[in-house]
Order: sequence, then structure tokens, then C-alpha cells
Amino acid sequence: MFPGLGLSLLLLLSGCLDPKVDIPEQVTGLAPIYYEGDWRDIGAEPPQPIQELFKIYYKDSILFAGESLRGIHVIDNTDPFNPEPIKFIRIPGNSDIAIKGSTLYANNLSDLVAIDISDLDNIRVVSRVENAFSGLGAPLPDDYFGFFECPDPNMGAIIGWAEKILERPECWR
Amino acid sequence: MIRNVILAILLAALWSCAESDSESAAFSNSGTGTGGSLARFTIVGDYLFTVDNNSLHSFDIRKADEAIPLETAYIGEGVETIFPLNGFLFLGTRNGMLIYRILQGGATEFISNYQHVVSCDPVVANNQYAYVTLRASGCRQAGPGAADLLEVIDISNLNSPEVVASYNMDSPFGLGLDGQTLFLCEGERGLKVFDVADPWNIELLHHLTHFNAIDVIPLDGLLLVIGPDRIVQLDYTDMNDIKVVSEIAIGV
Repeated sequence: MFPGLGLSLLLLLSGCLDPKVDIPEQVTGLAPIYYEGDWRDIGAEPPQPIQELFKIYYKDSILFAGESLRGIHVIDNTDPFNPEPIKFIRIPGNSDIAIKGSTLYANNLSDLVAIDISDLDNIRVVSRVENAFSGLGAPLPDDYFGFFECPDPNMGAIIGWAEKILERPECWR
Repeated sequence: MIRNVILAILLAALWSCAESDSESAAFSNSGTGTGGSLARFTIVGDYLFTVDNNSLHSFDIRKADEAIPLETAYIGEGVETIFPLNGFLFLGTRNGMLIYRILQGGATEFISNYQHVVSCDPVVANNQYAYVTLRASGCRQAGPGAADLLEVIDISNLNSPEVVASYNMDSPFGLGLDGQTLFLCEGERGLKVFDVADPWNIELLHHLTHFNAIDVIPLDGLLLVIGPDRIVQLDYTDMNDIKVVSEIAIGV
């Protein structure tokens, strides 16, 4: 139900079993980004401003701009002098896409989804491979060693991690 | 009064043109698109290849409505990017560039690797050379001795890639290749444009410093530059006169 939680619990345990670390009053570390609602719910929304750009992909004069961990801005670039946002495709926990024909492949947290985008007003998830990925999205970054905010399962699915100033953090590795 | 009506009709006509324009931005039902050098998904023929932190995954996507997982190859920690070329996959990892062959049926086979000091590093390639940026600045995992470099690697023999030349850069990120032109992003320090016809002596043609560049996609004369604060489109059809076409603001 909550990908990454098991790992996080393991991390938490292994962290807390290490007696040598002194917990600082305040330190920069990582904190979970929670997704409110059903992270499997994928859909098209009206265009919205780009908040935090992740990556872009280009096909047939359409620019797909990835909003970090939220989804994809679809921008009509038929006239590159006047690019026009036309839709936002909500894909929680997304970090990468590729398109073949009119099928968009994306990670939806740790699942792979194939989305038919031939009609942008009526996009459909046509295929889903559950737990296709381990390292995309939810778990604490593999390369991270340091303090982090302990995950709270009541807060929802973890779709990513962000830097945060932590007060007396109780998790680390 | 009549003038206003005419104006309204004209506006309506313009509006409907704009509407139909945006609807005409439909997809062709074939082909694949283009990602940047920091991409972790790529499609080759009937197969989708993806990398996550430590693995290379392949999926059969012959049927548009059914993605079938084929293989997960464990590669090791620190896989960052994937770049396809001529039936091969070039993986940028923190320890170096790995080359995999795509087998019939979508599985992959390890061919060779080119190792370097631990740093952050995407890769692009053509038939003869691979271009790898190594970034130590701001790279959390960078190892001792890591530097900010562009390395040109001879891949004419894919079984034993060899470094040809190495150039100092200033915190290089993504890069893009169009023929003999290499676009290289240096974050806050902007975008460098090189003529790489001579790999032993690449030539800096332009250094555009008025924007923050993380990754690029060259599209045959149109360059998409991705930064944290905007997407800039540049016209590079005339290499002596690279022009800004438009900008899309981010986070405003």
C-alpha cells in the first residue's frame, strides 16, 4: 500500500540501532513528500503554471514538461515563438516519460503505466505494471546518508523526498 | 455599432482559428519522441528501456495497450541516464559509462564499460564518439579527485571504449549533440556550444550566459534548453547567429 514504507521502517530500525550518532538540535536533512489522495489516480486537467521543472520530452511539435513528482505539462509548440500550454496530465510520483505513437509511458510512483493520449480530453491508462521499479520515486535516495524525517504512514504515500531543516530528527542512516 | 459587430466577428474568427490550431496539434500515431540527456526512459523499436538507481528494465510495448515486463538487469548503484544508439544503450552511471547491446526479444547484454572517478555524468554519442560530462561541483556523491570535465571517448570499438581527450568544464550537467555541434549545459554558468569535428581540439563557438541551463534537446535547428527557472527555445539554424525564439517561465 505504501511503497517505500517497508524500506523506510528498515532504515528507521537500522538507524535507531546505531548508538554512536548524536541527534543534533537542528540539521538539514530529507523529509518525505506525501501525496494526499489516491496516487494511482491519473487524469487530465486544465493547463497550469510550471512550478518545478524536472525533465522534458518532445514529440510532434508538442513539448511535455515534467513537473517534479506531480505530472506532465503538455505544451503545443507548433509555433515555437508562441508555445501554448494545453493540458496538465496528473501522474503522482512521476519522474520520467517516453512516448511511442500516442501512448505515453510513465512511472506512476513505482508502477509503470501506459497512457493513451490520442485524445487529450479523455486520456486513459491502458496498462499498468505494478511495482515495476524499485528506485524511482518513493524510497529514500540510495545515495543519501544522513538524517531524515521519520515517515508517518498516516500521512499517505511517499512520492519523494525534499531537503528540509529538521529539529532533533530521529531517523538517519 | 456596426464596427463593433464586425470587430466581434473578427475576434470570434480569430478565436476559432486559435482553437482549431490547438486542436490540430494532434499526434502522429507512429514514431517516438526525443528526451534530454538526463532521461531515464527510452524507446527503441518495440521496447521500452528504463533505468532506476541500480537496474536496467526492459518492457515489450509491441501492443500499445499492454506493457509487458521482460527483464530487470541489476547493474550496480548509481545509474543515472540512458541513451540509445544503433541498437546499443549507453548508460551514464556514477562510476562510468556502460554499454549494453539490445538483443532480439528485448533483453540486454553487457558489452563494456569506461570507468572514471565517481561523479555525476550523462552521456550522448554518435557512431564514433561518446561525450560524457563529469560533474563534481554540487554532486553529492562525487568521490575524491573528481573534477568538472567533458570527456570524449572513442567508441568505434564498442568492446573497448577509449578516452581520446578530456576538457575542463565548469559544473557541467546535460548535453546534446547535433552532427558536429555539441551543446553543453553548465547550470548557472549557462550554455556552451562546441564544434567537435576535431575531438582532440574541440572549439568553443559560443558561451551563452544569460540563462541557467540543466539539459538540452537539439531538434534540427531548434534547441530546447531546460533550466530550473525557464525553458528557452533557441534557433541555431545559423550557428553564427543563435537567436532566442521564446521562453516559458517556471515557478512564477
